[in-house]
Amino acid sequence: MWDGWLDIPGVMAALAGGVLVAAGLAALILVTPIYKHIVCLRYLFAGWKAVVPLISALPAALGVFLLILVFAIMDGFVRETREMTRGTLADVIVDAHLEGMPYYDEFIQRITRIEGVEAATPIIQTYAIVRVKPRVEAVKPLVRPCLIIGVRPEQKAEMGRFAQFLVRQTVAGLKAQEKTRMDTARYLEHLRAAGYPPEALLDVPADLRRDGAASRAGAIAGLGIIGTPLPVLVTESALEGAGARVLLGVLTGGAVVVLLLVWQASRRYHGRRGWRRAALAWLLAAGALATEAALIPVYPVREERRQVIDVPLLDYGDDILVSTIPVRPSGALEKEVGGLPKVSERLLVLVDAFRSGYWEADSTHLYVDFATAQQMAGMEGRPAEGDQAAVPARASQVHVKVHDPAQAAAAVEKIKEAWREFLHERPEAGLLQLSINTWETQQRMILKVVEIERNITALMLGLMFLGFGVVIALISYVMAYIKGRDVGILKALGARDAGVGSLFLGYGFIIGLLGTALGMAGALVMIHYLDPIEIWVNRMLDVDVFPREMYYFEHIPRHVSAPWCVGVGVAVLAFSTLASMAGGLLAALRQPVESLRYE
Amino acid sequence: MSEPILQARGLVKDYWMGAARLRVLHGVGLDVGRGEFLCILGPSGSGKSTLLHLMGLLDRPTEGQVLFEGEDAFARPKRWRDRLRNEAIGFVFQFYHLMPDLSVLENTLLPAMIRTPLVRWPLVRGRERRRAEEVLGDLGLRDRKGHLPTELSGGERQRAAIARALVHRPRVLFADEPTGNLDTATGGEIMRVLARLNRKGLTVVMVTHDERLARQAHRLLHLVDGRLLQRP
Repeated sequence: MWDGWLDIPGVMAALAGGVLVAAGLAALILVTPIYKHIVCLRYLFAGWKAVVPLISALPAALGVFLLILVFAIMDGFVRETREMTRGTLADVIVDAHLEGMPYYDEFIQRITRIEGVEAATPIIQTYAIVRVKPRVEAVKPLVRPCLIIGVRPEQKAEMGRFAQFLVRQTVAGLKAQEKTRMDTARYLEHLRAAGYPPEALLDVPADLRRDGAASRAGAIAGLGIIGTPLPVLVTESALEGAGARVLLGVLTGGAVVVLLLVWQASRRYHGRRGWRRAALAWLLAAGALATEAALIPVYPVREERRQVIDVPLLDYGDDILVSTIPVRPSGALEKEVGGLPKVSERLLVLVDAFRSGYWEADSTHLYVDFATAQQMAGMEGRPAEGDQAAVPARASQVHVKVHDPAQAAAAVEKIKEAWREFLHERPEAGLLQLSINTWETQQRMILKVVEIERNITALMLGLMFLGFGVVIALISYVMAYIKGRDVGILKALGARDAGVGSLFLGYGFIIGLLGTALGMAGALVMIHYLDPIEIWVNRMLDVDVFPREMYYFEHIPRHVSAPWCVGVGVAVLAFSTLASMAGGLLAALRQPVESLRYE
Repeated sequence: MSEPILQARGLVKDYWMGAARLRVLHGVGLDVGRGEFLCILGPSGSGKSTLLHLMGLLDRPTEGQVLFEGEDAFARPKRWRDRLRNEAIGFVFQFYHLMPDLSVLENTLLPAMIRTPLVRWPLVRGRERRRAEEVLGDLGLRDRKGHLPTELSGGERQRAAIARALVHRPRVLFADEPTGNLDTATGGEIMRVLARLNRKGLTVVMVTHDERLARQAHRLLHLVDGRLLQRP
């Protein structure tokens, strides 16, 4: 049930923390006099007063609900964005920009000898203009800027999630989510079994070869390059009746909670028979709700929904004309005989489309074979000719995969050191301005923006607790004031000032506990049923709560962080306990004779 | 008089009404013997409840001392006085002062619940409960132990309050107008209960404005305008 979005290591940490906090609390509760617990619970749950803590717990419940729900969605957004970004790159990127790095294979050999490095592959990157003629006659040729990325497909497939983002060469039967989340090595095994060996991902298969295409290289284009956003009707599965059943389930749970709350009241104020009658009535009501919920038929329905998606305007096997301007090793542009920059044109064959969900990659990336890209960028090696010395082949980047992604930053330092040593041995590589960074550093702008957005949202929602704190403080103060005579009685019987004061802290703590439990349960149920609820809301209100084309996710992303949940719970408990110090202080400082003198 | 269990020495109590000082007690001194039934008689506003609160360690005097079994109570830490109130002193108030959310039995168990941590409660609960039921039985409230105070008559409430004051076997019982809120017959019944307890050896200090009730005590002191008219 929790697979996919519940952070398992986090759960363990949260459980350990929770056990520690619970053990501390239990010890505290065990060594305090029993009157505090009995009186506090009686204040909370006896008679009509049972409504007061329930109502006071509602702001806390709402706060916890929103903090967990919104943070889960924002955190899911952050994680999926990171996953997509990382999937198009590698753990560490050695960037030689358009100047190119000579002797890259030698350097790669050196890199792979570094401890912790699993693999490395050279990459070519150069800018280009793509022209494609859409299949639809009425549509003019598409002319778009793009980034040519030359890869060795068998190495690049191991590096990130490159193979998992392909549209045609994919493992049939896997949903997009399963596909992008699956372990890369496992996915490649599946891919091989499906007839798509990683080394042949850029090959043009026989069924896609058309006239004159025999000698052309294959290309994989981002869906944004070869497509256009169009409104289409998409079929979507929904569970009819699920929303109503969840709603009734929540009401049933609420009825049971209220039953527990009125238990004391009914027992105390109406005698045993009255309590039995009340319990029976509540049980019947809860049973009726549960039965009604169970009787609501839940069945799958398929619905058509209007959605704007990138529709490819080309078929696989169609031509793509790519124009580049090669750059010489000196950094100068290749020139024609007349001195004009030389434009290199290459006709490629579309063999697949690429969709990572990362907009920048999908709208600009055009993957071609490494050697082809090298020629297009002018980075291929040239033998010595006449008085001209031989020119070594160059690569724009080296992508590095490390065993433990958490150690990527340490790998960066080792690679920098390796480069210095390499230069010492190979001074002819020249004084290149290499940028060696982790993928996170390279993409920090986009990641930072999303993370800041998440944190600001959490902060703003957290401010709601100020209002909640005021409510708790007022309720606890009023309770301590109303119960002034009880305070006097307890002190007259020997209760200590601090003990009587802490009774009201317990009052606030239990309100916080109720709110946390209600809010957390509500949020977790909501997160679990987010997709059916979204579809239900869309249908009921005729809106599109989460437009896929805007966010590029196929479902609302979510990630429940157990430490966050525990943190929110602990913060609410601490906050409500602190806020109730208003009542606690009043009770502790009150002289018993003040309240005992008169009725 | 037997050996004193409680001694008041020069008790002065001031209340402040803004900047104005109101002296309620003017150097009151008295001894209470062990097993004695002492009654302090005085009109309303004479300071008799204040004196009772000071002797019962519920309030701190502006000046003077209260010696409990020879110990200067206000020279000891507050924790000591709290413990003394819990273990050695019982209070009965004019307005009963039972906790409305607790049953009669729970009200009677309060002193035990105040001194017992939750972890020890299962070990002592049976014994304390038997003791509370025994006291309630002596006071004729055995059948009312599960009721809330609001479900009891005035006399029953006062008997419940006495049960709570006696359950921990106090050495001194302070009664502040214990019949002030009751009809004559019920008041007489409460007085008989107090007299019976005193005959069993309990020291009783009672304040009242009713001379007829005061006559049942061994010794009578008059308090007028914060001064004792007759020294013991």
